[in-house]
Amino acid sequence: MLPPLLFVALLIFAPIIYIALFSVGLRSNIPGTEVAFSLDNWDGFLFGENNPFRARFFYSMRVALLVSLVTTAAAYPLAYFLSFVARQRRYTLLLLLLAPFFTSYLLRVLAWQIMLNDEGVVTWAARAIGLIADDGNISWLIYSTFSVSLVLFYTWVPFVTLPIFAVLENMDHRLVEAAQDLGASRWTTFWRVTFPLSLPGVIAGFVFVMIPTTGEFITPLFVGGADNQLFGNSIQAFFGTTNWNLGSVLAMALIITVVILMLIFGRFLNTDLRAAPGGDEK
Amino acid sequence: MKTSGAVGKVLLSVYFVLFMVFLLAPLVVLVVFAFDDSTTATLPLEGWTTHWFSEAFTNGQLTNALVRSATIAAVAAVIATALGLMASVGLTSDRLRLRSLTVASLMLPLVVPYISLAVGLVILLQAIAVQTSLTAVVLGHVVIALPFAILVLLPRLRTLDPSMNEAARDLGAGDLTAFRLITLPLLGPALVSSFLISFVTSFDEFAIASFLAPAGQPTYPVFLYASSRTPALLPQVIAIGTLVIALSMALVLVAEGGRRWAEKRLVGDQEFDDEVSEDNLAEVLVISGKS
Repeated sequence: MLPPLLFVALLIFAPIIYIALFSVGLRSNIPGTEVAFSLDNWDGFLFGENNPFRARFFYSMRVALLVSLVTTAAAYPLAYFLSFVARQRRYTLLLLLLAPFFTSYLLRVLAWQIMLNDEGVVTWAARAIGLIADDGNISWLIYSTFSVSLVLFYTWVPFVTLPIFAVLENMDHRLVEAAQDLGASRWTTFWRVTFPLSLPGVIAGFVFVMIPTTGEFITPLFVGGADNQLFGNSIQAFFGTTNWNLGSVLAMALIITVVILMLIFGRFLNTDLRAAPGGDEK
Repeated sequence: MKTSGAVGKVLLSVYFVLFMVFLLAPLVVLVVFAFDDSTTATLPLEGWTTHWFSEAFTNGQLTNALVRSATIAAVAAVIATALGLMASVGLTSDRLRLRSLTVASLMLPLVVPYISLAVGLVILLQAIAVQTSLTAVVLGHVVIALPFAILVLLPRLRTLDPSMNEAARDLGAGDLTAFRLITLPLLGPALVSSFLISFVTSFDEFAIASFLAPAGQPTYPVFLYASSRTPALLPQVIAIGTLVIALSMALVLVAEGGRRWAEKRLVGDQEFDDEVSEDNLAEVLVISGKS
């Protein structure tokens, strides 16, 4: 038990502690700089007038929230299809649905750049069917909030299907039968029985997207313009240059945000993910 | 199950099929351009060629990056699986104190954003006066792979029949012997799964590697990112990319199929609860997806 815990302490807790120290000025990456406790960087980030990084933070959170909501909504029918319609082949189809997920993340984002760029496949197709002029472009297709959101949506949909599918599979199906025996229509049964019972999976799926998306920075590098970089890109930029103290404020703000999300939603992950299969037999 | 009417079923099926098209389209596009005899990834196609593949394989920087990533991933996966096994055995013990705190600590890498972890490691390295290094990349990858290893190993460890261990002990085996002769072989398939998931996690990881890999020694994702900005290199990157896509898909399918086959054989068909294996699959898939 001790070696893994020491390892985690050294490589997770120590970096977080160092980020915290840098964020309040108690350490510096520039040799010879005087170090002293200071909340100036935090003050600027949280309360500074028109602070660009705070604006970037809220932009990222809006994108993350939008992507999480749309992704979860799109994944629900997929999970429902697998669980209730594709009974026999559900695990085969699930694996097929998840197949893109196993390929390199960077490659998938690169593929979208090839699809969406100004001379890309989508533009070519739009020209071919006369949707736009032969030399025309669709301005919002790439380097826009749309392109960043679309690629994030693409990335996470298969993944969000899983917790919803797991909940639908483990549901007591007799409740659905009972509702129908008592005269409820399929629509009523769904909204009054199936959907409420599947809510833990829906929330888990939502959090599964929300958490990694808040720290996302790879997708904007490929398909985002200057205005569509996310908060993660701001952090990345700071550590490419010199001001690690301000960068640490941003990195710490991101960690705190994720921890808050986990405190709010963590219990849904606990019941659905961490409880070992067969663990309740013990 | 008559929960959805015929129309609903058709609509859901159509939705699923359309979604599969949406999911696979970008990958198909990538594969098509890997064989297109053009220096740009644009339509219309200009003709069939395999020369991007031969060019890619003679590009020393590219092949070195691939080998480098595979080596890092293998080392990280072995360490993560070993640590994951220790943690899992510890977590099954009834004597463990501060259980939820321990679990939370071990699972923390799942939620800490990789970008924050990466810059934290940069700061940590600077504090101990170490510049970027591949060893640091390996250690960073072990951290993020460890929760996956535990989530693969722990459920398997819990479903093992404790009476087998007791039988071994009744027959005179010590704790360690019983573990080596009974538990470890039964865990075999799960250990392989843990290794593969850790391997894939490391091989694909960009954030930590982009900060910690030395400038002249990029990992494959870092090289891929750098060269995707160089139009002349793009066709080669796409060619290798299609190979990586094909290999990783094959690996996952073979690994999952193999694990289920092996576990059925090991545990015995009548005792083996298929649903447990399926749930385990879903769980592993869920956790292996965090990028």
